[in-house]
Amino acid sequence: MLFKRLLATAAKSVQGPVLQDVVIIGGGPAGLSLLAALKSSSITRNLKCTLVEGSSLEGIREFADSPPEEYTNRVVSLTPKSVEFMQSKIGNWEFMNQDRIKFYNNIIAYDSQDRTSRIVFDGSAIEAGFLAVMAENVNIQSSLLQRISQLKEEGVDSTILDNTKVLSIGSALKEAEAASESTNIMSENVATASDWPIVNLSDGSSIQTRLLVGADGFNSPVRKYAGIQSRGWAYDRFGVVATVKLQYEDYRSIGWQRFLTTGPLAILPLTEDNATIVWSSTPELSEILIACDEQIFPELVNAAMTLDEVSLNFIYAKLKKNPNDFSVLDDIPWRQSRLKVNDLEENYPLPVTEVVPGSRARFPLKLSHADTYTSARIALVGDAAHTVHPLAGQGLNMGQGDVQALVEAIEKGVTRGMDIGSTLVLEPYTSNQWPGNHVLMGVCDKLHKIFSTDWYPIVFLRGFGMKNLNMLDFVKDMMIKNISGR
Amino acid sequence: MNILKGAIAGYGPRKNVVLGLVRLASTSSSGASSSSVKDTAITEDEMSHFNALASSWWDVDGPQRILHKMNLLRMDFIHTTIREHLQLNEPNTPVEDEIYVPAYGLELLPKPIRNRIISEQENKRDEILGKSKLKALDVGCGGGILTESLARLSFIHSVKGIDLSSDVLQAAKVHQLKDPQLTKLQYELKAIEDLPSNQQYDIITMFEMLEHVTYPAKVLEEALSRVKVGGWVFISTINRDFVSWFTTILMGEHLLNIVPVGTHTLDKYINQTEIKDWIESDSDRSEKYKVVRAEGCIYLPAYGWKFTENPNVGNYFMAIQRKK
Repeated sequence: MLFKRLLATAAKSVQGPVLQDVVIIGGGPAGLSLLAALKSSSITRNLKCTLVEGSSLEGIREFADSPPEEYTNRVVSLTPKSVEFMQSKIGNWEFMNQDRIKFYNNIIAYDSQDRTSRIVFDGSAIEAGFLAVMAENVNIQSSLLQRISQLKEEGVDSTILDNTKVLSIGSALKEAEAASESTNIMSENVATASDWPIVNLSDGSSIQTRLLVGADGFNSPVRKYAGIQSRGWAYDRFGVVATVKLQYEDYRSIGWQRFLTTGPLAILPLTEDNATIVWSSTPELSEILIACDEQIFPELVNAAMTLDEVSLNFIYAKLKKNPNDFSVLDDIPWRQSRLKVNDLEENYPLPVTEVVPGSRARFPLKLSHADTYTSARIALVGDAAHTVHPLAGQGLNMGQGDVQALVEAIEKGVTRGMDIGSTLVLEPYTSNQWPGNHVLMGVCDKLHKIFSTDWYPIVFLRGFGMKNLNMLDFVKDMMIKNISGR
Repeated sequence: MNILKGAIAGYGPRKNVVLGLVRLASTSSSGASSSSVKDTAITEDEMSHFNALASSWWDVDGPQRILHKMNLLRMDFIHTTIREHLQLNEPNTPVEDEIYVPAYGLELLPKPIRNRIISEQENKRDEILGKSKLKALDVGCGGGILTESLARLSFIHSVKGIDLSSDVLQAAKVHQLKDPQLTKLQYELKAIEDLPSNQQYDIITMFEMLEHVTYPAKVLEEALSRVKVGGWVFISTINRDFVSWFTTILMGEHLLNIVPVGTHTLDKYINQTEIKDWIESDSDRSEKYKVVRAEGCIYLPAYGWKFTENPNVGNYFMAIQRKK
């Protein structure tokens, strides 16, 4: 009996929480980047790190050896700053599938309400020589996993637990506080209890960690555990994404964006005749875009890139009644025929000829920003900290900026012999990263609002603004440098 | 105006109190007192002041926040000083294996060459520090803010923290238990002169401490005698001038309430030059020890601590190295 009990207690003590320095919740690009960056830095590589991801990463691991034939629909644009971070600090860039990324140099943004107002951004003004790179999310994640494996082979160890859900987060201190509150007696335990978060996992294990990082998306459980408020609003808009084929490869490598009153529509070039589209649209329109026939969708994109809003509304109304109304296939070319051929060729994107089957998807657009990115033993990165309107393609880049700033803060903390979960170490991350993100989010939000109206005075003013801005190269260069992170 | 009375009363020398240099010089006559009261002891009312602070010592948003912030600068000072003064080349290294240390300023060189020299030197420094196992002693460790930081550095082998306030030491020990990484750290309720004189250290730190003791020269002497050749004594204290009174007592304690009232006494501040002169004043001492670095620092409320260019005004840090 006694022997049995001894065994039981021994087993129990073995099962106590595993101690780690950093636990990252979330295996998206932000979480994986943070793990790879911490392990790549000579200062922080000795920290014990674990990443926990709820879903399986098997599909991403397979991407390295057998990527799918067609582009996946989750494509992001990376700024030169993000690329440099991946090249020089994380070291995952060399593992990117280079056949599936596309550099581009120009962005042309134009207004559906005013044919003459357009603005051309030229990336050759900046040092990097390119404005952005289009890459699939899965390509980035795959390269990060490969980098982490490479580091392991070099003896720099880390743990990734995928298919593992976070059941609950707590800490001994919170329990002691709750206990002393309910009994109304100031417990001795409050002074001695550890405030290290304990993460309980679906595989039955638990991890106690010095620093808990939430890279766990918009509904971040880590943010909720920390009691950090996130503020913002839904746009009543959906982002519709799809992979499409152009008439032929566009050698101009231009990203096109047309501001429609329903939201901006962007066509961004990929390799060969591939392109990806992001179409911010009203809930009603987004349903049409998802439901309509695969033959109609490409023509609809062409129409939205070229026709006036009156024509578009006529076509949308037809499709609303019947998403498979093939008569629009005659309508659209006829309406486009009123545009001059030269004009169409020079000032508009190449026509889309087909959509990759099954690549259409939609997601609700919202703006949200956490009040702070840090509290004691907590840091938030990526979508857990902020979500932004996709019209400037900044979401993932802001996450990369977060990772870079957080790693710098942790490096400094380690050099100074600090407890890296202390707010003294983490606060500089918030103060360096939060204000810039906030401004960027504000700009995206205002752009969305200015362009989602057809009220003439605003249309006139924005047209006036765009035309003048287009002539002021130095202002544009400044904007490009800001957007590209230089 | 009541609030200012305390502050103003503290300005200007009081009668019958020995000031900085004199206090430094008065060590020899203090021998008699050492039997009853420790030379390194702080006065009784200061002791009760620090005892009262023990419970909130580790609250980084509490009354000691400014000290926690200062610790960041202290660690930068210690780390960069040690790093910059590492001997990159052993005496008998063959020339072809030597790390190149130009005899002139690096900024004269073209950028790529400069960067290569710097990165070569930095790698060598990492390598030396990677192999180092330094022993450190933190005198007047208080709640262990600096002591813990030292114990987390990879190139530190062990740290001993000593203090004369049992309450703050208790706070230090309770806090140490919260971090399983702090295994190289040990606290003792002891005065420096009670440590065996044959215990030698690579690093001895006395931060924000000399201005609280009665006989600072005696404490300094005890510290210097316990440092190994090539080792370091790091100190920080406050110049005895108007700026210090204005920042540390009037603004810090009485107007902005950044530091608890009663933390400082202007009479006990020691000028940077007084310490330098004190080392120079004795030929044996000046031969063995050298003030290698001294930096002024200032607290900017919205920013934190920052180095200034002038160590003769306000707070300052000092690094003394034992040469022989």
